[in-house]
Amino acid sequence: MTANSTSLQAPGARVASRTTSRLMGLAILIALLGAPFVLDSYYLHAVIISMIFLLPAHGLNLIVGYMGMLSLAQGAFFGIGSYVSALAAMHFGTPFYVNFILAGMVTGLIALPLGIPALRLRTYSFVMCTLGLVVIGEAVAKNWVSLTRGDMGLSGVPQPVLGFGADPLTVTTITGYYYLYLAVAVLMTGLFYALVTSPAGRSMIAIRDNEIQAEALGIPTWNYKLVVFTISAAFAGFGGSLYAHYLTTVSPLTFQMFYSTTILIIVLGGGAGSIRGVVVGSIVFVAVSEALRISPEYRMVMYGLVLLLLVFWLPSGLTPLIDRGLAMLSGSRK
Amino acid sequence: MTELLIEQIINGIVAGSVYALVAAGMTMIFGVLRAINFAHGEYYMLGTFSAWYVITKLNISYPVAIFLAVIITMGIAVVIGRLVMQRLVTAPFQSGVLATLGLSLILQNLIIITFGGTYKIFPGGWLEPVFFGEISLAWQRIIIVLVTIGVFIALEFLVRRTRMGKAMRAVSQNTACCLVNGIDIERVVLGTFVLGGGLAALSGVLTGPINVTVYGGMGEAITLKTFAVIVMGGMGNVRGTLIAGWILGIAESFVAGFIGLQYRDAVGFVILIGMLMVRPTGFFSVQSRF
Repeated sequence: MTANSTSLQAPGARVASRTTSRLMGLAILIALLGAPFVLDSYYLHAVIISMIFLLPAHGLNLIVGYMGMLSLAQGAFFGIGSYVSALAAMHFGTPFYVNFILAGMVTGLIALPLGIPALRLRTYSFVMCTLGLVVIGEAVAKNWVSLTRGDMGLSGVPQPVLGFGADPLTVTTITGYYYLYLAVAVLMTGLFYALVTSPAGRSMIAIRDNEIQAEALGIPTWNYKLVVFTISAAFAGFGGSLYAHYLTTVSPLTFQMFYSTTILIIVLGGGAGSIRGVVVGSIVFVAVSEALRISPEYRMVMYGLVLLLLVFWLPSGLTPLIDRGLAMLSGSRK
Repeated sequence: MTELLIEQIINGIVAGSVYALVAAGMTMIFGVLRAINFAHGEYYMLGTFSAWYVITKLNISYPVAIFLAVIITMGIAVVIGRLVMQRLVTAPFQSGVLATLGLSLILQNLIIITFGGTYKIFPGGWLEPVFFGEISLAWQRIIIVLVTIGVFIALEFLVRRTRMGKAMRAVSQNTACCLVNGIDIERVVLGTFVLGGGLAALSGVLTGPINVTVYGGMGEAITLKTFAVIVMGGMGNVRGTLIAGWILGIAESFVAGFIGLQYRDAVGFVILIGMLMVRPTGFFSVQSRF
């Protein structure tokens, strides 16, 4: 339906809307760069949290939006990433970017063998299996006391250290965190964009739309699914790393359904298969509720209502609304 | 040693009966709706909470509270069934997952907001022990097992012998043919859903005195275990569910008794994943349901 309505538009309107969306993107980036000069630190904190959640949401978007599968395991990989990053920083004193890359890579490596059996399942079985991974992840985090210190969790995770040497630059202020995480979020979003617009990304979309036909066209669907599952877990691991260094504590609470649900809401509420949707989703569903200081219980009720709303009235999330807004802007420009 | 073994098996059967009662509703809902109800444990929680409320706040006795709790929960289920579950008849599988996940979040957190997040003590129940030789057993546990067996006999009768049961089986086989034959699919879905919610509530009230604690998040754990039971029993298979519930209960009780209590809650998921890999049709069904 969406494809039809786009193709029916006049070519001029589409070009105009693309320029508008580029301009909008630029405007948002400038606004984000200038935010610390305007917002007080509590609102900066809200934006930082939403940038942390953006990374696992990108990962889930790859599974849901580009492969057409539904996974609840993203919270587990987020948790694994946070533990990996925290342990590396605490035991080896490695700088931030080493921990960050390590968190993504180790999480991806853990996800790979888990994906081999899980991806053989379809629809409900896959969803239940991914939920099982969260429960098992929580059990490991709680019971592997020698490594994770069990329910107590790890506290005193170092703040991000940039660079080696005797007196390296350490991020300690909220503004410092803000710019570091903004840079990471923009970089990862760019990477994600490059991935989904590459030929590999188009193959994923082909698998989502018609797996049998994709297979017939010579796309190695099984390999693609496994790679997508691994990459999406790696993105969650990257997010977990940011989370660990921001909160400076890690605990088995990260494996609660709250995290998987929040990530799911960002992707589906923003609009699966759309990068701008997920970015807007992370701001709307995380930054706003964080900034309004909504308690977790009320937030979960709100998320529940959003899920029902999405299922019955807004199956594509916020993306169509964003596009309509952009189209109106470019219309007034003409 | 043998006494310990027998005690573990009996505890397992009691716990398994509780799971089976919850799972019976979930498996029947899957049968007619082709949707996994991620909110099913919340009706177990609602049942326990309603009973706790009427006993502690309205001073109603436990036997009456059992009926009230089941009726209150079924009332809530009617509203949810009409607003949400009936719309899922023709919806794709993602809609079923997301809508029921949303319902679970709403119910669980509304209860926490209304009654507070602290643990509450469940009063009442028949906890006097009965002695069978060396083994003592609370009346409540015996009642749970007997009620469960009774409920499953009644369910078997419902599904095999009544018009409602015939309609349920018809809906689970072919919805298009049901429309041709004038079976009201939405009514069958609502009926099955309300019945399933009532059974989950019954299970919650009956275990209340044994579990003692009542809290908002108690449904989630039950939902997760129920998945293992319905997959083992074969999705949509009512008879298999009882045996599968007992298998899970006994397995959990053995793991808790001989390996370690902290691993008990992981048993269900290991079984779930193992079953999905090796035999996704369950132990008792021939045909694959996914």
